[in-house]
Amino acid sequence: MRLLLNTGRTVDQGVSMERGKTSSEYFEKVAVAFIHPDDMKELGIDEGDAVRIETDFGSTVLKCVKGGTEKGTIFVPMGPWANVLTGPNTEGSGMPSLKGLTAEISGTKEKVTTLDDILRMLGG
Amino acid sequence: MGEVYKNVVCPFCGCLCDDLEVVVENGKVVSTKNACPISKTKFLDHSKDRAKPQVRKDGKLIEVSMEEAINKAAQILKESEFPLIYGLSSTESDAQRLAVELAEFIGGSIDSTASTCHGPTIVAAQGCGAVKCTLGEVKNRADLVIFWGCNPAEAHIRHSVRYSVTPQGMYVRGKKERFIVHVDVRETRTSRMADMFVKVEPGKDYELLSALRAVIKGYEVGDVAGVPAEMIKQLAERMKGCRFGIIFFGMGLTMSSGKHMNIDAALRLVRDLNDHTKFTITPMRGHFNVAGAGEVLTWITGYPFAVNFSRGYPNYNPGEFSAVDLLFRGECDAALILASDPVAHFPIGASQHLAKIPTVVIDPKVSLTSLIAEVVIPCAIAGIESEGTAYRMDGVPLRLRKVVDSPYPTDREILEGILRRMKGC
Repeated sequence: MRLLLNTGRTVDQGVSMERGKTSSEYFEKVAVAFIHPDDMKELGIDEGDAVRIETDFGSTVLKCVKGGTEKGTIFVPMGPWANVLTGPNTEGSGMPSLKGLTAEISGTKEKVTTLDDILRMLGG
Repeated sequence: MGEVYKNVVCPFCGCLCDDLEVVVENGKVVSTKNACPISKTKFLDHSKDRAKPQVRKDGKLIEVSMEEAINKAAQILKESEFPLIYGLSSTESDAQRLAVELAEFIGGSIDSTASTCHGPTIVAAQGCGAVKCTLGEVKNRADLVIFWGCNPAEAHIRHSVRYSVTPQGMYVRGKKERFIVHVDVRETRTSRMADMFVKVEPGKDYELLSALRAVIKGYEVGDVAGVPAEMIKQLAERMKGCRFGIIFFGMGLTMSSGKHMNIDAALRLVRDLNDHTKFTITPMRGHFNVAGAGEVLTWITGYPFAVNFSRGYPNYNPGEFSAVDLLFRGECDAALILASDPVAHFPIGASQHLAKIPTVVIDPKVSLTSLIAEVVIPCAIAGIESEGTAYRMDGVPLRLRKVVDSPYPTDREILEGILRRMKGC
């Protein structure tokens, strides 16, 4: 299913970031995708299920959170999981493409991508 | 009862709320008053998850002395041919000044987090100017407040109660005398405090801003960007008819398709509105001193971000010397990251280069960038463990307080140490 991806801050993202970016709270609050209930129904998924999201720039598995966005769009809090999906090309502006990206989304039985998985993607 | 510090400035977001009360016992913050949930966590957890001085040896980060970490940082920068200094926004302005001095000394590039938040705002304002005001004027005078492409209820949590929605101003008393509009691609907590929500199609802000300019100039428009013509007309009339209006805008404009051209349209809309009434515009700055990074860079180099010194004098070019571009193209051969965490917030295509080159991180906490760094230098937390100056989102400088001692030196002491070693004095 093709949806429009936006990223940004949430209170939970901000609070858990201050707790520590390697904390389990940060993982719980940031490795998530907010999806509209109608789109969840069409995808055949429930809240808490894993979803694979893929853009032109990368692919990651996140936990579904119900609502918080419009039908036809998904919202992922800013952070390392969103970074896998966003584009580094700034079109000469300095500003990368962090909102309004086209994403392919599907339900999956895979585990949610961990911070260690992302650090491995970085080569770190 | 511990020591009580009053009127403490919060070092989290660009609101710089200056009414916090912080209680300290045995060198630790034990409670806060007036802090938002993010600020409260930052103060209460200040001693947790702290970074340690580390140097990577045989692929692993090993704890070393501060002396060794700073020596190694100086060595990396000395051996680099095209270094990048990036971040600056979560520290105070004296440290920012020293970061610029270091960039000039090593002939490197220097960029702040502005390039990935309000860089497009700065670029647009350089083209057509901006009608600005202080947050105090908003509180006292604004009877029309428009939040466009931002979500202060989650990102600038006390903005609404201190400056823009509910405060008792001198001439505007509380929410009942203000009309609040939220323009965004989705309904959020901010929409819930608005009197009018305008849902714009993603990536169509430029079209809607242009339609409003057309209506204000007397032209008829149809439905634009998913917004009915009647709603556009109503909003335009409200803008023209208010006594003092303001647009607060965020990443919904700067990060969406169009980027600086969206801001250009917003700034010109506000300029047009001043033919009818008093109207102003202010970006919702994120990091607590990202505005200060722009001020400091501008007063030293003439340019606000994305500056390069490799010719011996400052060159400015967003898209060329901005951090994401330098990293994505793989151009810089070393990096010093100060008061920011690019691995947590840059597209992975840019961060991958940071993991390949020797990267020095100065940060009070374990950041994601520190996990891939060559050298980690822990520092005091600006605004909690060290004092200094920070600039609020409206450009007003405020003095940060020190409420507890730090086991680590301040950012400026670390930068002075690196500079001393590099200059051999």
